[in-house]
Amino acid sequence: MRPPFQRRRSRLDTDDGVLPLINVVFLLLIFFMLAGRLSSADPFEIAPPDSVSEGEPSETPSLILVAADGRMALDGEELPLERLVERLAPATEGGEARELRVKADGRVEASVVVDLLGRLDQAGIGKVMLLTLPPAGAG
Amino acid sequence: MIRALPPFAAPLPPAAGKARRRARISITPLVDVVFILLIFFMLASSFLDWRMIELRAVARGQAPGVEGALLVDLRADGARLAGALLADAELERQVRERLARKPEQAVLLRPARGVDMQRTVAVLDRLAIAGVRELGLLPP
Repeated sequence: MRPPFQRRRSRLDTDDGVLPLINVVFLLLIFFMLAGRLSSADPFEIAPPDSVSEGEPSETPSLILVAADGRMALDGEELPLERLVERLAPATEGGEARELRVKADGRVEASVVVDLLGRLDQAGIGKVMLLTLPPAGAG
Repeated sequence: MIRALPPFAAPLPPAAGKARRRARISITPLVDVVFILLIFFMLASSFLDWRMIELRAVARGQAPGVEGALLVDLRADGARLAGALLADAELERQVRERLARKPEQAVLLRPARGVDMQRTVAVLDRLAIAGVRELGLLPP
């Protein structure tokens, strides 16, 4: 019969075996929590254009998505262009020029986006920021 | 009366010590939850490095923006400045030359139908690198 002292020691050893794993998992968890940014999924797939611009993204309340086939969405809700401008109109009656972010697919026709810009300008949104990604490998 | 209470430092009877050892909190459920949280954050978080370009639209009939501006026509076959088809590097050089003469020169980019956003952004980048500050987009 082994003394109880030794039995307790061996059980501690099994815990010790997983402790480094748990440490690493905790570190990974904290890394992903702090470094990543949670974002809602887009209603359709968007591959934003590459750009060498250095502009820092700002947080504006509204985001317009433009898919490769010209479909549009406002804040995750798919809407046709007319409804989208209608939806934005009441918010712009405050007087000040509003800011808006546009996330457009790189393959969409530029005239679609320019058309959207014109409509937003009429609706009183003077500042439109296009979201881009730095070119691959320039990280 | 007070002496009837056992002092705190009294050694526990062997049976009680055994029970406490068995009741040690197991870390397995904790690790399970941490793993699930880790997988959630790995899948849900994005590490995309977003950048921004300011876009300014100029309506067709809007005189102040168009007056005296340099018009760059962007078609499927290439960019045209004052009617001449130019490669991107040559366009950048010519725009830079004009800006040296007139630093506040406005430039308008008119992408034709069939030109995609990636190409337009590439030309906007070129113009921005050339030093254009007044940059607008014209509908086709």
